[in-house]
Amino acid sequence: MGRKRAFDEDEVVRAAVGLFGGRAYDGVSVDDLVTHLGVHRNSLYKTFGSKRGLYLIALRRHLADDVRPLTEALATAPDAATALRLITSADLGLLLLAAVERAPADEEVAAEVATALAAVDQAIADALGMSTALAAALTAAALGIVLRGNPDGVGSALTQRLDSLH
Amino acid sequence: MALVHIDGNDLVVVIEGLDKLWAFKSSLTIPLANVRGATADPGIAADPKGIRAPGAHLPGVITAGTFHLDGEKIFWDVKDESKAVVIELADERYARLVLQVDDPRETVALVENALR
Repeated sequence: MGRKRAFDEDEVVRAAVGLFGGRAYDGVSVDDLVTHLGVHRNSLYKTFGSKRGLYLIALRRHLADDVRPLTEALATAPDAATALRLITSADLGLLLLAAVERAPADEEVAAEVATALAAVDQAIADALGMSTALAAALTAAALGIVLRGNPDGVGSALTQRLDSLH
Repeated sequence: MALVHIDGNDLVVVIEGLDKLWAFKSSLTIPLANVRGATADPGIAADPKGIRAPGAHLPGVITAGTFHLDGEKIFWDVKDESKAVVIELADERYARLVLQVDDPRETVALVENALR
């Protein structure tokens, strides 16, 4: 209590984003956190309360640091091809893992993921003058393309069709 | 072994069997408002535990009772470290509880869900 923390909380959270974005939640043990974040176990518990506490802070950090800039860039995208390229080249590791793995099991994670994706949809809808439903379909397709390793020709096949709509 | 359940707005920990002799406790009741979270942590038993008083510490056999580490009090009741769960507290006599439970995953979900 009241003692100065012997570590940089900001750096620790950023490192946790990398760790949680790279493997499954259950695959990250407290031993892994202690080793990779360079923080003593006691300090980890005292600062974040639990592994889930740290996970939620890391997820929010990822959304603020990585997803919000993407949303801002999407808001000025001139066409669907640019929007798709912005999404497929962004660092979305933790968002994707959270959506697939933690959101179904954790309401708070689900709410964070839904809010972030809704902002992405809205930015695309505003930039390209399309309905939010169609923008959501584009986001969903783009994330699917990321999951499939961005195979050649798939993105352009989709955006040629979308850009010919308007 | 410890049994962890939620009773209204409290987290209740019941120490089972002979462990309560070594731990000098048979149960703990903590308001949920003072519970910060729960984490399955099989690795914690390998860490330094600090100084015991009172309780029992036979390395490799049982860790039970109150331990003092870095100015904090930590309550331990663990024989099988693979089933250790850490419950972090605030504004309580103990900074955290390290308990052996039957199903760590279930206990973590129980506590974390109660805090939402």
